[in-house]
Amino acid sequence: MPNAQNSPKASQNLSARSEFWAGVCEEMPLIFGVAPFGLVFGVLGLESGLTPWQTILMSSILFGGASQIVFAQLWAAGVPALIVGGSVCVINTRHVLYSASIAAYLRHLPLRWRILLGYLLTDEAYAISIRRFQHAPPGPHQHFHLLGSGMLLWTSWQFSTIFGVLVGGTIPDSWSLSFAIPLTFIAIVAPILKTRADLAAAATAGTIAILGQPLPWNLWLITAAIGGILAGWLVNRLNHQAGATS
Amino acid sequence: MIWFIMIAAGLFTFATRFIMLSNGISNRPPPWLVDALGFVPIAVLTAIIVPAILIDPADQTIALWDNPRLFAAALAIIAALVTRQMITTIGVGIVALWVLQWAM
Repeated sequence: MPNAQNSPKASQNLSARSEFWAGVCEEMPLIFGVAPFGLVFGVLGLESGLTPWQTILMSSILFGGASQIVFAQLWAAGVPALIVGGSVCVINTRHVLYSASIAAYLRHLPLRWRILLGYLLTDEAYAISIRRFQHAPPGPHQHFHLLGSGMLLWTSWQFSTIFGVLVGGTIPDSWSLSFAIPLTFIAIVAPILKTRADLAAAATAGTIAILGQPLPWNLWLITAAIGGILAGWLVNRLNHQAGATS
Repeated sequence: MIWFIMIAAGLFTFATRFIMLSNGISNRPPPWLVDALGFVPIAVLTAIIVPAILIDPADQTIALWDNPRLFAAALAIIAALVTRQMITTIGVGIVALWVLQWAM
């Protein structure tokens, strides 16, 4: 199928503005998933005993949905601060992958650009802008694409958090809105479970999360996460070895 | 204290995003680390999903057959696999939970 983006003439000299708006437009469909998630976080933050300001500013300071949910849940459970911080850090280490994968396209930029784009490098913005970097011809303003996708995501996340904080108190418990958190994560995880290693990671993490419930300080979460990562990594490695020897 | 932890974790998170853009590190991370980090989302999110579905919030015990969240989650998984849309998945799961709580 002919694709305008793959034709060098079409996009080699896209202006900064058109790169920016392309990033915004391509990011738009993901906002339907991000906005309810941010709203749920805003509600949950207050329920966990965070103040409105703590909840709202966490969305700028951490700017990572799953890690913010975990922060709020562990904080509400009275878990020691060091374990809260450690759990959040483990969850967010995955960004190193995005950073490594996108570095080749951004490394030439001035420091202030790399700091800004680094801050905006979330799962969702990465997923959209790496496609442009890899599949469309390079252009002098291509970093504006990530600026567009990242800024749309950032803005939606902040506003949906604030909205959640504002309406949170008015939503009755019978609506079971906190169930939206596992549902959000099901929407992310179910479609990406593809290989046997993926399934091993999920099964191990889920099992440890249940069996580890008696552990103090909600350590089940971090134990299950690390156990799942190890299981996936091991099965992956065994598969590769089996493939290499057969 | 909470601000300290939040800002420290925020700085760490920024560092994970910025590290490979910093020009201080020119090599990609070693392949074993790339492999392991690839499993972080599945492991972390599943670890959050499973107890949120199976542990009864009222008495902290494991609930199976008399658990509307389990069946609502099963429908949500099907919705996620079929539609791959977050909003549909959340909608199916929440509505299923309401109906099941009303019916069970």
